[in-house]
Amino acid sequence: MPEQLPQENSIPRNQISRVVHKLKSRLRGTGDRNVSRIRRRRKMTGLLWKSLPTLIVLLLSAGYVWMLAIPIPQLGQRTYIDENALQPGQVRTYWDWADVHRADRYLEGLEQLRNRNASSDEISQHIATEFAKIGIPASTQRYSFSTTAGETNGTNAYAVLSSPRASGAEAIIISASWLSRTGEGDGTPNLRGASTVLALANFLKGYSLWAKDLVFVISDGYLDGMQAWISTYHGASQPNMYAEPLELSSGVVWTALNIDYPGHSFSHLGVFFEGLNGRLPNQDLINSLYVITRHTAGVPVVVYDHLDPYEFPGRKAELAGLPAWLPPAVKDNDEVVEYGYRAKDVLRHVKYQARGQASGVHGLLHQFRIDAITLFAVPATGPHGFHAIGRIVESTLRTTNNLLERLHASFFFYILVGTHMFLKIGMYLPSAVLISTALMFGGLKAWVEAGWTQEPVQPDSVAVEKKGPLDGLQTTWVTRCRPVLKPLGIMLAMHVAGVVLFFIISRPWFIANQQVYSLPVFALFSAIPLASLLLPSSDTPSSSEAPLPLLLRALTLCLASTVTSIISVLNFSLAATLAFTLGVPLSLATPTRSPLLRLLKTVAYACLGLGWMVLAPEEVKHAVWNWEVLGVWFAPFVCVVYTPLLLQAAIVSILPP
Amino acid sequence: MDFHVAFPALVAGRLLLAFTSLPEVLNNDHQLSSPLTSYSRLQEGVYLFQQGFDPYSGGPFRHSPLLLSVFSTVFPLTRFTSPILWTICDAVAAWALVQIWRARQNVASSPRDVLIAASYLLNPYIFLPSLAFSTSSLENALCLSALMCASQGRTSAALMAFALLVHLSLPSLVLMFPLLLLLLSSPVSHLVSPRPLSANLRQLYPLSAEFAGYFVALFAMATLVCGNTSWVEKTWGASLLLPDLTPNPGLWWYFFTEMFDHFRPFFLMVFSVHLLIYVAPVCIKYQHDILYATYLLAGVLATFKAYPTLSDPGLFLSMTALFPETYSYLRHPIVTTLLHLHASLLLPLFHSLWLTQGTGNANFFYASTLVFGMANGAALLDAMWAGLRAAVGELKGGYEVVQE
Repeated sequence: MPEQLPQENSIPRNQISRVVHKLKSRLRGTGDRNVSRIRRRRKMTGLLWKSLPTLIVLLLSAGYVWMLAIPIPQLGQRTYIDENALQPGQVRTYWDWADVHRADRYLEGLEQLRNRNASSDEISQHIATEFAKIGIPASTQRYSFSTTAGETNGTNAYAVLSSPRASGAEAIIISASWLSRTGEGDGTPNLRGASTVLALANFLKGYSLWAKDLVFVISDGYLDGMQAWISTYHGASQPNMYAEPLELSSGVVWTALNIDYPGHSFSHLGVFFEGLNGRLPNQDLINSLYVITRHTAGVPVVVYDHLDPYEFPGRKAELAGLPAWLPPAVKDNDEVVEYGYRAKDVLRHVKYQARGQASGVHGLLHQFRIDAITLFAVPATGPHGFHAIGRIVESTLRTTNNLLERLHASFFFYILVGTHMFLKIGMYLPSAVLISTALMFGGLKAWVEAGWTQEPVQPDSVAVEKKGPLDGLQTTWVTRCRPVLKPLGIMLAMHVAGVVLFFIISRPWFIANQQVYSLPVFALFSAIPLASLLLPSSDTPSSSEAPLPLLLRALTLCLASTVTSIISVLNFSLAATLAFTLGVPLSLATPTRSPLLRLLKTVAYACLGLGWMVLAPEEVKHAVWNWEVLGVWFAPFVCVVYTPLLLQAAIVSILPP
Repeated sequence: MDFHVAFPALVAGRLLLAFTSLPEVLNNDHQLSSPLTSYSRLQEGVYLFQQGFDPYSGGPFRHSPLLLSVFSTVFPLTRFTSPILWTICDAVAAWALVQIWRARQNVASSPRDVLIAASYLLNPYIFLPSLAFSTSSLENALCLSALMCASQGRTSAALMAFALLVHLSLPSLVLMFPLLLLLLSSPVSHLVSPRPLSANLRQLYPLSAEFAGYFVALFAMATLVCGNTSWVEKTWGASLLLPDLTPNPGLWWYFFTEMFDHFRPFFLMVFSVHLLIYVAPVCIKYQHDILYATYLLAGVLATFKAYPTLSDPGLFLSMTALFPETYSYLRHPIVTTLLHLHASLLLPLFHSLWLTQGTGNANFFYASTLVFGMANGAALLDAMWAGLRAAVGELKGGYEVVQE
């Protein structure tokens, strides 16, 4: 250790160095360097430890407030086109009334088939014949999926127009599914969408400017047909899928447009963009479409099918999703209306993305790295029809035809809060990360608490020297060991129980008799935390070994925090939902003394973790179907990650401290 | 649990996993096998060799000619033989780890044996590369075998295993000095009671000569198999010159993708020498317990070597099981664990965002390798601290230890 320098020698002569010296001594202390360093460190850790509960509350509330602030009108920035090659809306369009007439003829043919209640084979044969009549190689593909909910089958029709200008190494898909996305595929046929694709095939063939192959697909069903077609196209196999091999093939698909036109006419053009497992398409594609729709076709655009409140002054509050009981002064406030409208968009986005659902057929293409969106013609009595949608698709195809490389530029992380406003990743990601940081701090705090315990000091040793009261209450902090194998074993067991839970809910007998089995399964898994009471309690006193619930709390909070912050990059909506549902509940999962409170807390955690099984049986069925057919990992994620975390919280609460 | 029951059970479990379809899924994962250890590249090389082409004339094959000769003659790589071979590698490595533990404790068997074996066989950083049939499992087995023989005082066996290890993976040369010192001293724990190294350092010369003899013999064999020395540049040269910038969980690849060509030789030299500068200080500071120095240098290799796979940090972390006397002196074990948890989730996630989903880019994966580097660094630094701190012992009455 260095000797302390004599003070006299180190006093400087002039004023400035005296100030510097004073500052130095203030910052570093005057005594031994190591002593002052230890003092400083102790002071800092003491301060941090004292303010840790406040810090956790602050972080939690900051996270929640930030989440609520995502739709405020002041946040967000205007959209722009990042890829210069796109040049949206710069071309003259040639789609004409003659093409509209042709689309009407195709529509008549399809309507006849629909009225006859024709089979899938018949419809696809008809469509393939129509493609062939135009002079484009066309074919059909039969497929079937066997799922726990039953068998799904159908036939796709598709045609490949080879690029007149290039080797066909790249392709663009123009697709329409037989069923529209209206009501998430409730059975409304998408006849006009299919007719548009047929008429476009006829029209686009007349031009020699295509640098990419154009692949036209009319897929059967809502999502199942395209899943069979696109996975066969990419040579991906699926154990529960049978699909005929494709007779025609083309190159790498970069972009795709899916046309959904269920009504008679349309007033607005909406865009749906969420893909499977929360993957989003490059924002340039959406922005280009907005530019083209507005400027080339003069059609008003909306996000999803949410009509803009400013276009309908009389229905402002209703369109912004504001509740009717609000006072008029609030309902008519422009800022409030804007907030409501943006919140509606964000919530719709979260609803799709968090569940990993595709908001349209386009979403299935994302899994093969294709940037795709659905153009949704919002049904209305007018004024737009085939003429407008034809021009929009033509111009958008010309734009994507310009691409020399895949859309890139990290334009994949955004929240669209309006047609021309979006939030960059830095504007929304911190909300979930703040909550997960709070969880992490909570976990580390519990870990430190588990490592120390207070012990009474022998009166004859140290206590006498201290000035504290000598009533025998003098205590000192001593370390205790933290055996982690047992809590880790419990955590592993809970996640294994989650796997079992997922196995059960994806059995055919469960899906077929959900009303019967939901409640018993719910009760069985809710009882697991109670079973932890049967664990043999350790013989060692709590002074030498940390109590199990405290250790379990520490590890559970750390795991929950890690999962939340890591998911946030993959699927922000899911991470935000997780942070929202886990943040406060897990922070409150502390060992309690009162038996009644312990039981109540356990029941609450079990309901939060497993309540979905009883409350949303349809959702369960849907999520399992999504997993089996489309590979959406939302259902397994909930069973294997989310539910076990809450079961662990229940165990923390029920175990005696 | 009885070691004689648990160990075969663990190995059997590993063998069963190896016979599932997992290896096909993991085979080409960038985190599990590097260009120098990849199974598919090995198969490619063997195929070219059998068809009469020189596998070293192109870029993809960077394995040693000895592996080439073994796998193209006596031990063909098939869907049936590979799982067995890689499971044997893991079993040998785990067995060696247990033997090192026994030698360190100077006992014939201990109740901790099962835990030691499990810490190797159940370590995901170890068994995932092994399921991907990365030859880094082979290197780990050789490394632990060499250490085992050295701990048991079997000089020639240790040097032979080590010569083979260096032949297969040149950066392992970093471990040579501590291994020789380990042969001269004992593996018994002296972390708590440090003392100067008592070995006669003159004995290093004959040991080095013996090692050099084995090494030259292996070199000659390899050259004989290959017919010329073109393999040297392709195999040993690769870990010095970094010709293949396939992403891996290490810290080199991204740095050198961003590098201007005229700086490349300089920084290649810096990165390579950087690995060597740890050897002397670590061996001097931990001269009382050379096995611990070896362990720390394995950590250095895992963090900083040119083409690491997850096996390398896995070896370091599994070896931690050998030193329970340091556990209570670790300063931030929970932080290290959490860093590793984050890194091991982020690595595959960002890898897929970049290369599968296409929504991210190379910077994403690079960021996760930095987190992984931090996790390894945190583990290494904490191990260094705890190894020295153990000597001071438990403190009473408000004293603290400072490092000058």
